[in-house]
Amino acid sequence: MMSEKQPHGQLRDLSPDKIERNPENPRLFFRPEEMDTLIASIRRYGIQVPITVYEDDGRYVLIDGERRWRSALKLNLKKIPALIQPKPTRLNNLLLMFNIHALREQWDYLTIANKLPDVISLFTSEHNGKEPNEQELSDLTGLTRGQIRRCRLLFDLPEHYRNLLEEELALPKHLQRLSEDFFIEMEKALKTVQKRLPNAVPDLDRARDALIVKFQQGTINNITDFRKLSKIATSISNVGVREDKATRAVLDIFDLTKPTNIHDIYAEQFEIRYDERKISLNVDSVYEYLDATVESEDEASIGRELRERLVRLKDLIDRILQVDNGL
Amino acid sequence: MVFDTLSERLRQVALHSLAFCRDRYGNNGVKIEEGIDDAIMWRPSYFLKLGKFKIVAVEVEDNLYPETLKGAAHDISHYDFPISVYQACTLEAFLGDPKHKKVALLKKHGFGIITVDDEGNTVVQHACVPLAQHISPDVFDSAISELSPQIKVAFRSAYTVYETNETQGLQEAGQIVEAIISAILTGAIKAGDVGAGAGGQTLANRIDAMYASQALAGHRAALGGTREFVQEFRNTVSHPAKNAKQAAEKIRKCRRGFLEAIDLAVKLRLLAQAKGYKIKVHIG
Repeated sequence: MMSEKQPHGQLRDLSPDKIERNPENPRLFFRPEEMDTLIASIRRYGIQVPITVYEDDGRYVLIDGERRWRSALKLNLKKIPALIQPKPTRLNNLLLMFNIHALREQWDYLTIANKLPDVISLFTSEHNGKEPNEQELSDLTGLTRGQIRRCRLLFDLPEHYRNLLEEELALPKHLQRLSEDFFIEMEKALKTVQKRLPNAVPDLDRARDALIVKFQQGTINNITDFRKLSKIATSISNVGVREDKATRAVLDIFDLTKPTNIHDIYAEQFEIRYDERKISLNVDSVYEYLDATVESEDEASIGRELRERLVRLKDLIDRILQVDNGL
Repeated sequence: MVFDTLSERLRQVALHSLAFCRDRYGNNGVKIEEGIDDAIMWRPSYFLKLGKFKIVAVEVEDNLYPETLKGAAHDISHYDFPISVYQACTLEAFLGDPKHKKVALLKKHGFGIITVDDEGNTVVQHACVPLAQHISPDVFDSAISELSPQIKVAFRSAYTVYETNETQGLQEAGQIVEAIISAILTGAIKAGDVGAGAGGQTLANRIDAMYASQALAGHRAALGGTREFVQEFRNTVSHPAKNAKQAAEKIRKCRRGFLEAIDLAVKLRLLAQAKGYKIKVHIG
């Protein structure tokens, strides 16, 4: 759903020096490893796919092909094949790039997050103040609704955390510690904790700082541990854990003076409650099945294999219950 | 804005390292994000002229030993202007190189390394000479492997000089070859393979005397090669370059000459071994 149909362009060889970056291009990070591969390919085979530009006051502005253009500059090429399009409106310019990149390659979420507000505000001003909803944004940009939600988590981060992530993404891969996924998982967990245990998060930025430091130090060593943090926060309603116990655990996790990590505290204090809940649900479902069998007065419908399993289960239950009675 | 295509972090590396290079080499011919010549498929982040006939070019990149440098090395070493190439990176990237593998490769292939830390402190971690001059330690070690320990030590000393001054280094390598020739001649005179009078003549004449000897007829390739070497590389050393093209050609000649001196030393040692002459090298 573009704002207007783009006309076809004209193919020409241009000097890379006459081309400029598109100010609306949200692609911020050019992975050196990817650039290396592209440069090696262009050195050997040349540029096989033209870049796309529009003309603006005698200069050419990139719509698509910034990596090819950068490679051409680095390789000191004199000409680069380019498809010249008429100058688009600002919204169309932005949407062209969103669609090109969302369909062909994965942009960084932070890159999208930094530009999505521009799309929203330009759309709003073109539609008499009506903001696009999530579905409309998805149609406009070519992003899935899930991607848009993830971008919003990043966009809602305070600026200095976005800068921190931006600096991290500019590093070579082997030096990167924090990632977009880290921030997305952390923010999801923090939202849950804030909602379920507001007393455990008196200062959201301090909680963020603690989690970042603990992750950088290796105290928290897996970003999926943040899902366990969410489970600690929801344990009050889901598995009947006392609020003060869950609050204490979360405060310990957010406390930099304590070496508490999410995985261990979850395993020690909460995991068994979730396991018990899972087993209870399974027991309920076995009970319901057997009860229905008894009700139907068709005991013969239980096959030999299931019957053997039930006998083994009954023996085990009897033994456990006897031990419990003995205690 | 200069260095527009770099991330902010690398832009700082570029600005600090450029200021450092300007301070060190002067402001002569500074070019930012421009090609050196159409013949070279590489556009450095910046380059500047060092003296009349040398260029120092710098690639700012945290990805150590990027494809651009690998691919451009051949063009650079054959270009008619001696070019020293540095990679400038953050100190973090330099220290974070696993087992310093890429750092070692950069050094091995003749590139220098400049680092910039978070405070903007700039350090040359590894200095370099023009690529056309560079002889990697691996190539050098392999070349001298068949020499005697005494001659190896002499060539190592010449190599150290060569790494900073190609002309002086070649001169020292030439002196080692001359010393070996003198030792062989002494042995040949003692053995009666050449006449006693041959020892008092010029180096070229001494070689010619041995070349003419029937007793050394099986070793004329080594002796003839030495004769040509002495002639050509004495010229190379003594004629200053008048322009960049000559400077580049002189550097390439010095490199070839240095390696040829080692090769000749190996052949002359074989000659001495075959004839039972002792080689004692005294280099002043």
